[in-house]
Amino acid sequence: MALLKVKFDQKKRVKLAQGLWLMNWLSVLAGIVLFSLGLFLKIELRKRSEVMNNSESHFIPNSLIVVGVLSCVFNSLAGKICYDALDPAKYAKWKPWLKPYLAVCVLFNAVLFLVALCCFLLRGSLESTLAYGLKNGMKYYRDTDTPGRCFMKKTIDMLQIEFKCCGNNGFRDWFEIQWISNRYLDFSSKEVKDRIKSNVDGRYLVDGVPFSCCNPSSPRPCIQYQLTNNSAHYSYDHQTEELNLWLRGCRAALLSYYSSLMNSMGVVTLLVWLFEVSITAGLRYLHTALESVSNPEDPAECESEGWLLEKSVPETWKAFLESIKKLGKGNQVEAEGAEAGQAPEAG
Amino acid sequence: MAPVLPVVLPLQPRIRLAQGLWLLSWLLALAGGLTLLCSGHLLAQLWNLGTFLAPSCPFPALPQTALAAGAVALGTGLGGAGASRASLDAARYPPWRGVLSPLLAAGTAAGGGLLALALGLTLILPVSLHQGLEEGLEAALVHYKDTEVPGYCQAKRLMDELQLRYHCCGRHGYKDWFGVQWVSNRYLDPSDQDVVDRIQSNVEGLYLIDGVPFSCCNPHSPRPCLQSRLSDPYAHLLFDPRQPNLNLWAQGCHEVLLGHLQGLSGTLGSMLAVTFLLQALVLLGLRYLQTALEGLGGVIDGEGETQGYLFPGGLRDILKTAWLQGGTAHKPAPEEALPEEEPPKEVLPEA
Repeated sequence: MALLKVKFDQKKRVKLAQGLWLMNWLSVLAGIVLFSLGLFLKIELRKRSEVMNNSESHFIPNSLIVVGVLSCVFNSLAGKICYDALDPAKYAKWKPWLKPYLAVCVLFNAVLFLVALCCFLLRGSLESTLAYGLKNGMKYYRDTDTPGRCFMKKTIDMLQIEFKCCGNNGFRDWFEIQWISNRYLDFSSKEVKDRIKSNVDGRYLVDGVPFSCCNPSSPRPCIQYQLTNNSAHYSYDHQTEELNLWLRGCRAALLSYYSSLMNSMGVVTLLVWLFEVSITAGLRYLHTALESVSNPEDPAECESEGWLLEKSVPETWKAFLESIKKLGKGNQVEAEGAEAGQAPEAG
Repeated sequence: MAPVLPVVLPLQPRIRLAQGLWLLSWLLALAGGLTLLCSGHLLAQLWNLGTFLAPSCPFPALPQTALAAGAVALGTGLGGAGASRASLDAARYPPWRGVLSPLLAAGTAAGGGLLALALGLTLILPVSLHQGLEEGLEAALVHYKDTEVPGYCQAKRLMDELQLRYHCCGRHGYKDWFGVQWVSNRYLDPSDQDVVDRIQSNVEGLYLIDGVPFSCCNPHSPRPCLQSRLSDPYAHLLFDPRQPNLNLWAQGCHEVLLGHLQGLSGTLGSMLAVTFLLQALVLLGLRYLQTALEGLGGVIDGEGETQGYLFPGGLRDILKTAWLQGGTAHKPAPEEALPEEEPPKEVLPEA
């Protein structure tokens, strides 16, 4: 009993082949879209690799690029096959390759589905990379004299301005590190000496933040220093002042940005996967319909049947296992056959 | 009546003319579309920068005119493409015969007029931009502190975002902020002696400081941003007010915005010039094609040679014909008499 049998006359077969040809070329476009999405994500990750400590995983954009290229190749090949399918002479040369090609297509669809799943699931690793990278970035904020790290200040400032965020989890992260370089500290001043002596590591810690944390929507000019001292500023209560600084941490901001990017790419990949599955199914129907044409010389007269699987799913699975077992016991079967052949001869 | 600028057009050159015209028309449509996009972009930029341009500045008229001119050019291009394609096909030409004259008239009058106007504006208006930006930016600086005043509550945010995005500070430099009170009175402590001194030290009672808002800070600077006490050489370590200030953005917003907008209007001007040239060529070619085909009586494939011309006669002759036609329209009775006279006249030469 075949799975999902459909009857095809010549007209229907021609329509199927033409429809499949069009769908294959649309799918080539979809493959190009996947490739460009992967490239875009790769460039976005590279742009901010400094705050991710250059250790971010490029698995998703690389796999999107590979899948896009493969999709273009397979679908243009399938388009060529569908174009030739209507001409019996040309189709004859494709016949022996069609079954392995369909198997490869099914494998490719599985890979595509896995990539789509990965787009949704891999944000966890990105979160830990971001947390670690931002912590380091903030640590090196003051090292504008050290070769190799002199651009970290500019990178962090531009990041905080662009993504409207401050610090790792919030602005208080800046209170725990020394972000003002020793070069600009007046060591003869008592205040500086007190601050440095007040902690074990001898760092100059302030309850202030860099200017890039300032929120332009605040109605008052930005208060950056002495944030926890209410008496330092007129009419200021640090517990109720909301709009002065960006409240979101940069880790959360970057994570939500990349998550939304990857989610939308995952959705696009899922849609492309559905399209590819329908193309593979259509190709299978075309293949079986043309196989079961009873008179290859005059196809216009014949009605044929197309199906997805020749037998039902459990039977097909059993037959598949049998063929694998046969491959393993190939020599034994031949030897038994030879013995059986000799025995009747002797007997 | 001698035709103006006649050109003899046998069949092959006519076909060549039609084909060349088809290509030029599509190029004109493309140029018109690009002009539309360019002027739309400039309009969007002006809408964003609306607060920094004085309302009396006539500069926005330029992209609006260019938008209209681009639309007309696009229409002329599409119409020309259709007409030249139809002129190669005998079955499709008759409906176009009636349309061509009005199309040519509209294209020349509307399109040519708008394009010339837009080109003229491109040359004149950018000069007014200088004054408009001066006034607009001055108002923006003065109203920076008015975050509580209705109508100006967004001024601070817009000015900060302008300085952050365009990498500029003040009107012509950061010292412009020293002459304006940019801290609102609401956040000034009236019991602080320093505040009272500053307010009393100038005639208008403004709280002026030698400091700038945070949006003037340059992230490329190696040291954390110095925003306050910028004229005091002893206020900060290793800081000399007489040296060029690397902490803040060096350019004034006036120069940056002026360069940006003038660049955009320059691009728009060159697009308009190209569109004008293409439109002139397309209209000329269409006129010659139309008159040549009229000479054949609307039959496309006629092998005969015809003349294409710009005008059937000189300007004087055209005015005379128009006057006569206008005159006969007002006298219906003599019209009936005239046809009676004509047949006897025709009979005479035969005899």
